[in-house]
Amino acid sequence: MKIVVAYKWAPNPQDLEVRPDGTVDAGRAKPAVSEYDPVAFELARRLADATGGEVVGLTVGPAAIDTPLARKAALSRGLDRLVVVADDALVGADSTRLAVVLAAAVRGIGDVDVVLTGDSSIDVAEGQVPLTLAGHLGWLGLARVAAVEAADGGLVVERDLPAGVSVLHVAGPVVLAATADAVVPRVAGMKDILAAAKKPVEALALAALDVPAPGTALTTLATARPSQGERRRVVLEGPTAVADLVAALDLAGAR
Amino acid sequence: MTSPEPDFDVIVVGGGPAGAVAAHQLATAGLSVVLIERGETPGSKNLSGGVLYGRVLDQVFPGFAQEAPVERRITRHVTTFLTPDSAVSLDYRGGPLADPVNAVTVLRAKLDPWLVERAEEAGAFVMPGVRVDELLREPGPHGRPQVVGVRAGDDELRARVVVAADGVNSFLARSIGLRPQPPEHHLAVGVKAVVRLPREAVEDRFGVSGDDGAAHAIVGDCTHGIGGGGFLYTNTDSLSVGVVLRLDDLLRSGRTAIEVFEDYLDHPGLAPYLRGGEIAEYGSHLVAEGGLAMVGDVHTDGLVVVGEAAGLTINSGLTVRGMDLAVGSALAAATGVAEAIAAGDVSRDGLAAYRRHLDESFVMADMRTYAKAPAFLERTGMYGAYGELAADLFRDVFSLDTTPRRHLAKVALGAFKRSPVTVRQLVSDGWAGVRAL
Amino acid sequence: MNSNQSWVVVADEPAVTGLVTTARELAPQVVAVVVGSREAADAAARAADRVVWLGEPGQVPVEAYAAAVADVVAAAAPAAVVGATSPAARALLGAVAARLGAPVLSNVQQVEAAADGAVVTHAVLGGLVEHRTGVAGVPVLAVDAGAVPADGPAVTVEEAPATPFAGVTVTQVRPRERTGGDLGSARTVVAIGRGLRAEADLAIVTALTEALGGELACSRPLAEGVDWVSKDRYIGISGQRVSPDLYLAIGISGQLQHMVGVRGAGTVVAINSDKDAPVFAQCDYGIVGDLYDVVPALTAALGGGA
Ligand SMILES: Cc1cc2nc3c(=O)[nH]c(=O)nc-3n(C[C@H](O)[C@H](O)[C@H](O)COP(=O)(O)OP(=O)(O)OC[C@H]3O[C@@H](n4cnc5c(N)ncnc54)[C@H](O)[C@@H]3O)c2cc1C
Ligand SMILES: Cc1cc2nc3c(=O)[nH]c(=O)nc-3n(C[C@H](O)[C@H](O)[C@H](O)COP(=O)(O)OP(=O)(O)OC[C@H]3O[C@@H](n4cnc5c(N)ncnc54)[C@H](O)[C@@H]3O)c2cc1C
Ligand SMILES: Nc1ncnc2c1ncn2[C@@H]1O[C@H](COP(=O)(O)O)[C@@H](O)[C@H]1O
Repeated sequence: MKIVVAYKWAPNPQDLEVRPDGTVDAGRAKPAVSEYDPVAFELARRLADATGGEVVGLTVGPAAIDTPLARKAALSRGLDRLVVVADDALVGADSTRLAVVLAAAVRGIGDVDVVLTGDSSIDVAEGQVPLTLAGHLGWLGLARVAAVEAADGGLVVERDLPAGVSVLHVAGPVVLAATADAVVPRVAGMKDILAAAKKPVEALALAALDVPAPGTALTTLATARPSQGERRRVVLEGPTAVADLVAALDLAGAR
Repeated sequence: MTSPEPDFDVIVVGGGPAGAVAAHQLATAGLSVVLIERGETPGSKNLSGGVLYGRVLDQVFPGFAQEAPVERRITRHVTTFLTPDSAVSLDYRGGPLADPVNAVTVLRAKLDPWLVERAEEAGAFVMPGVRVDELLREPGPHGRPQVVGVRAGDDELRARVVVAADGVNSFLARSIGLRPQPPEHHLAVGVKAVVRLPREAVEDRFGVSGDDGAAHAIVGDCTHGIGGGGFLYTNTDSLSVGVVLRLDDLLRSGRTAIEVFEDYLDHPGLAPYLRGGEIAEYGSHLVAEGGLAMVGDVHTDGLVVVGEAAGLTINSGLTVRGMDLAVGSALAAATGVAEAIAAGDVSRDGLAAYRRHLDESFVMADMRTYAKAPAFLERTGMYGAYGELAADLFRDVFSLDTTPRRHLAKVALGAFKRSPVTVRQLVSDGWAGVRAL
Repeated sequence: MNSNQSWVVVADEPAVTGLVTTARELAPQVVAVVVGSREAADAAARAADRVVWLGEPGQVPVEAYAAAVADVVAAAAPAAVVGATSPAARALLGAVAARLGAPVLSNVQQVEAAADGAVVTHAVLGGLVEHRTGVAGVPVLAVDAGAVPADGPAVTVEEAPATPFAGVTVTQVRPRERTGGDLGSARTVVAIGRGLRAEADLAIVTALTEALGGELACSRPLAEGVDWVSKDRYIGISGQRVSPDLYLAIGISGQLQHMVGVRGAGTVVAINSDKDAPVFAQCDYGIVGDLYDVVPALTAALGGGA
């Protein structure tokens, strides 16, 4: 079984700075493998080990996502090899553009049975990319996957939905987005990182991929920092704090 | 039984300036090197902001100030004396300061990754996100335990030499008893923040333009009488602001470093510079301030210690200097380690080559020059009364009341009489100060 | 493009008023395409101007209809497409977006029709910033479905049975018991975070919740990770967004991803033992203290609990 894991090399928004005009300074941002994507690595590794399959990492984005450090960070977490599409034409790319490029890369990799992804990326955090990717591949796309196993010529997928747990049998190719707590991912050790440096990496040129032009153009007309609702920020301390709070809430008519 | 082959010639632990430069030099010398850093990205665990005296880095990376992510070149040094409600400044600006490699401000979140990339380019294997838990030791050829590698989690890596560049309080060197736990009065707590301001505000408030920048040192009543002082440096579109507090004083005062720091930021002498700024990053860190006394053993069988891990910082009481010393010691260590490996002797005796190079370098020369600084700074006068005195003096000069302008010397004398500082104390401290600084 | 029509995709949501309201901003006529139960189709029929029902999924997940929905929507060439934010709705929207080559915009605050598409005000980067974005083409939007079903007159439901993906079957469903009432409409919400040391200690928080007559909620780690509170009760960017009159964040540090979920709350109260916790910069009232002391004391002061 050939499994692709799509993961994002992304900064933690905690390190992004928003200027008063709502533009973002990423100068101090420290990109890393997006918080929940190692869960997908782990699910993929276990599935591959159980089926004798291969795990191919895949990431797309600006040129800066392809550094030796970034490669090792991904490859040390259970991947067999890596495919990277790194091009500054993808700076600020929207979910559909990323998905379209990912889809082209998945087709390029060829004979893929499953694409696994994280729940949502740490920066964009919309959980949309995997489902648009499925749309583009024309495959079934399922989010909130808590477990996956090979069985009866296909996969048994367990989903953790708000209404309850649902178990499915899937026969065709599929995109699966894991829940954040599906499995506990492994921590890369020194030997894993050393081994990572020896694993194959393929850099695919964006221009060489069959990527259709976007149907819709976006223009950012204005940016703003969200108002924090101008909260009062009264911080109470000490023995009278509870009484003070109750009084303040009564005064504000808040209870 | 023979030991397994080492995985690398050298393991460098710590991706700060000391570790990155050591790894760069060793890799350039053709040795196989792994650089292990616990932060996911180099620099992520290191407090941002500082003035880097760049001459030594320029030797390693010629023209580095053009290439590396530096913020501003310092062309203006200001020393400010604070009292609870006033500030008096001595302003020194001069052409010679603009020498591009003299002093620059840097943000560690940018500088450290750049340095580590250079090491990687030179061929070092960079391993971020790994915290070294322990040094591996085995009986060595001289009957003494020899460091042969490191352990992190379940994994072990072996090398001929380990370079401990793990920063202040070197956990690694202490774990094998090479370096003692420094006494409290040799330690200070540094609290630093990076405050974001629009570029124009930085330039207007500090009277600088282009790539030029200012470094302010702050003394007097800004630390609640706790031995220490503060600094304020300009970056491109932010300020690095901090205090350095003597640990023993701080503990005695019962205050937390953060409390003192927050009051410092609110001081009327400082607040106007920071107005409207936003704290982008904030943290505190121990600084060795023992000067020469802190530099004890820096090598043993299979191990050398560099940078702040080797106690190589100079604390003027107001500011801390350590990055250039870290780089200087890394150069000495790389040369010494390469020689020892070439000679096939990585025992204490072989690695003594590092100590010799260190002793000959500017690092130890400066450590000796400033050797008396810590003792001088222990005179608490520096932190309280002198600020009052200077402020009194300037108040008399600048207050335009109806009394005739007096000659400055007389004004100074008047101020003296009101001040609790005695002339003798002033003279003797002045003398001690001149000798120490 | 049919600039008179915007389309709403319904993934079995019981209420669609939020979707239809947004869709109507962008075109006078709103058509709903429904994958789901007859009841969902009927509910949509009371809000939209036309309803196309692709059928009851039965033994396949709603997501199996993604390509079918994309076919129907693309054929109509609408001015805009709107759907909900649930995983199933995002799968339908993703297929539509891929077909149209248009991005899905989420966290939408405001939409206006424009000559060549729309102008959309939306939060990006997890709520860190807000953008006003000009969309030249078909905007595809993920918005809150709304909690209240429409009660207007119903239009006829047009049945247009479609073929789902082959090869996928739901073999088992284990429904989750719903704990407590509806978070979305609660006037008071008491949320607990990782400051809680043990599941058994939840009792002190539920006592406060009862004293306030509110609903219990939590931060993500308490629902996903330790599973002390059910997964439909965590607040934030990937969980629920609530706008009660009063929100209490107890033992919650106040990370962006959590706090965007309560931007609409009236009064925010924080209880945290760390005075530097970011939550204190985002609350109306904060108490610095150990929740194990403060919460029982607050419950008692409100005249409840033991
Ligand atoms: C408040 C303050 C202000 C200062 N201002 C200045 C200034 O203006 N100019 C100046 O020159 N100096 C300044 N310094 C001093 C300067 O920061 C240090 O001297 C310098 O960082 C020392 O560099 P280093 O490489 O030895 O150690 P560090 O920069 O501390 O690097 C050590 C590295 O080792 C890593 N590490 C530690 N333990 C492990 C482990 N077990 N496993 C893996 N990795 C590990 C750490 O994550 C870190 O990256 C200041 C210090 C303070 C506290
Ligand atoms: C893509 C993405 C999406 C996410 N979506 C969400 C989301 O929708 N919702 C969400 O909540 N999180 C979300 N998160 C996680 C989020 O980033 C935080 O990790 C999470 O909100 C932290 O939960 P917490 O505040 O309960 O825990 P912590 O951050 O660990 O905070 C616990 C707090 O409790 C305090 N405390 C400890 N003991 C006591 C005591 N005895 N008394 C009082 N206070 C005490 C501590 O001081 C601390 O501030 C998301 C993260 C990512 C990357
Ligand atoms: N640029 C990208 N490259 C590869 N995978 C991505 C990328 N962006 C998002 N993903 C995957 O899609 C998931 C959801 O991301 P998002 O839709 O941005 O919340 C992530 O957890 C990744 O697995």
